[in-house]
Amino acid sequence: MLALQRGVTGFSMPFFFVMISASVVDFVAIGWVFWLAPIGFVAGAGYGLAHYYRFGYAVTADTVDVSSGVFSRRSREIPYRRIQNVDVSQGLLQRVLGVAVVSIETAGGGDTEATLRFVSDDEADWIRAEIRRLTAATAESTADSDADRPASAAESVPASPAASTRRDRSEDGTAPTQLFELEAGELLLYALSSFRWGAAVFPLVLVLFLTDADSGTNLVPAFVFDAARPFGGPATLEGAAVGPLLVLIAVSLVQWSVFTYVSSAVYTIASYYGFRLGRAGDDFVYERGLLQRYSGSIPADKVQSVTIAENPLQRLLGYAGLWVETAGYGPDSGDGSQATVPMARRDRVSRFAENLTGAKPSRFQSPPPLARRRYLVRYALIGCVVVAAAFGLARVSALERWYLAAVVFVAVPPAAHLRYANLGYVVGDDHLVIRTGFWKRRTTVIPYYRIQTVATRRSVFQRRLELASLTVDTASSRTFVWGTPTIYDIDLETAREIHGTGRERLQSALRDRARTDDIGLSVDFT
Amino acid sequence: MTDDDTVRPLGTVALSTWIDRIWAWSRFIPASGCSGSLAAVVLAVALVVLDQWRLTVPTVAIGIVVALTLALVVAYAVRRYQGWRFELQDDALYLERGVVTVVETAVPFVRVQHVDTQFGPIERVLGLSSVVVYTAGSRNADVRIPGLTPDRARSLQETLRELAIESEAEDAV
Repeated sequence: MLALQRGVTGFSMPFFFVMISASVVDFVAIGWVFWLAPIGFVAGAGYGLAHYYRFGYAVTADTVDVSSGVFSRRSREIPYRRIQNVDVSQGLLQRVLGVAVVSIETAGGGDTEATLRFVSDDEADWIRAEIRRLTAATAESTADSDADRPASAAESVPASPAASTRRDRSEDGTAPTQLFELEAGELLLYALSSFRWGAAVFPLVLVLFLTDADSGTNLVPAFVFDAARPFGGPATLEGAAVGPLLVLIAVSLVQWSVFTYVSSAVYTIASYYGFRLGRAGDDFVYERGLLQRYSGSIPADKVQSVTIAENPLQRLLGYAGLWVETAGYGPDSGDGSQATVPMARRDRVSRFAENLTGAKPSRFQSPPPLARRRYLVRYALIGCVVVAAAFGLARVSALERWYLAAVVFVAVPPAAHLRYANLGYVVGDDHLVIRTGFWKRRTTVIPYYRIQTVATRRSVFQRRLELASLTVDTASSRTFVWGTPTIYDIDLETAREIHGTGRERLQSALRDRARTDDIGLSVDFT
Repeated sequence: MTDDDTVRPLGTVALSTWIDRIWAWSRFIPASGCSGSLAAVVLAVALVVLDQWRLTVPTVAIGIVVALTLALVVAYAVRRYQGWRFELQDDALYLERGVVTVVETAVPFVRVQHVDTQFGPIERVLGLSSVVVYTAGSRNADVRIPGLTPDRARSLQETLRELAIESEAEDAV
């Protein structure tokens, strides 16, 4: 394979740097801007140009090389076998200019390993296809001593998909087979039924922006009062009675929630519009986004675990989402998980998960009822804290009837029960399936060969009840956000047993993998 | 010093064998206790500052708080030392540790990415060192075995390295 040396295309780097330098300069004093901004402009543009000319990348036969840096130089070589996923993202301006950002993820470090900014559209697609092709070629050449390929689900997954994809790999560089497309109804449902807490910031920013624009010194914008007045809200903050103030707070909270909900839905629609998942060789390729386009590829043999995520509303409607996790870090979500199916009917998702991992659906086992008692006590303690807080508040403020806070205890038994009822695990032949959570229920399928470490944890309280939690760590980076998959509060005996089983099956899976050549995941899962 | 117990692949190994246990006691406890004592000192300074700056704190109270903290630190260190176990089993490094939460971890040799020997400043003063085993996992990706003599730490590092290579250390990430 010829080593192809290419310069970075695109020209928006200087603009980018100018914007940054201008905003940095801005806050000092308004008068300075007039003479500092041009300096910042020149310096930024100069640095941008220098950065641009000093940046180079090459796609060689067995590595991707990137060298960058103006003052301190860094050159980096990434072997294909180590690449987790390749993502291409395009903002609005970038789409107008016809450039894209290519991010190459590996398992090492906490950051994207190589980010190629301002490559042209075609170039980005070409890089991605090329990396995929070369990765496949590298895997092919080492196929006999195939060490990088997981294979444990040899029995449960028919060998056909893996075997056939291996063969047609070389010719599928351009046209991926479509596996799943998010329909308009599903997208709408996904947008309306998923809540992004990050969106809560959006109304705040908007309000800050607005207050800055019109009222200036006033801490609370006028529309907040206007909205609350029909319900008996105060006209001003000064000298307002407690009742009207509470009304004001309640109305504002409602407003805020509505705003958050709407902006979260809008964000979801914008980022998952036109979601498509396809298969190219042994890789998943996806595409999504309305304004900012994302696309990328996830090698099936880099998938660490598969998770079905659903919240109560989605459960009620009978829908769920399917996510795959790699050890890389995505450009959008800040971790290595990608929705393979953001939203689809529950039975379809279950079927996808089953086909994908080969994990047969089986009955979930529950922790002993003792665990439920534990949650009861735990939530009761939280309730006590709430009441104590209300009491404390009553001491320092005019709040009376603090004992009304005791209503939280009504919620304790159902909360404990729901927490308990949603816990479950399956110790399968090839997989460990763990289910937790009520508000965000996640069912994670972990193939034994992906286990990194197993740990049995027992806190003081658990030791008293002879319970233990079993933590199964994988290399998936999603765990930073979602937490390490854990089977909570099972009998110590059971925990130790699963602990041993996990270790044993890891070893036997690794042995199997050395013999056979199966990736244990079916790429054609739909 | 008996070093051969670390090379032996099987059998529970406490932090030291009985003979050098007393020796290690005199060192390991200060080692883990030092940081705690430091916390006690910081607490004392904070209280004194508070006393000077905002409200009067009786000297007796400061003394009691510091003494309590120190007692807790010592108790914690002793418990931690007593609870610490590690074992080289045939497929994994097995550890048991913890005071409030007892954790039993198994690190399969196949998953070992690299092994470090570390000498912190306090450890260096006391002539101790730790072995840190890294995996590709996300949480608890590094497992530390503290309170070893430098020689033992090195030989353990060597053993782990060999075991990791023996188990066909191909990566799975």
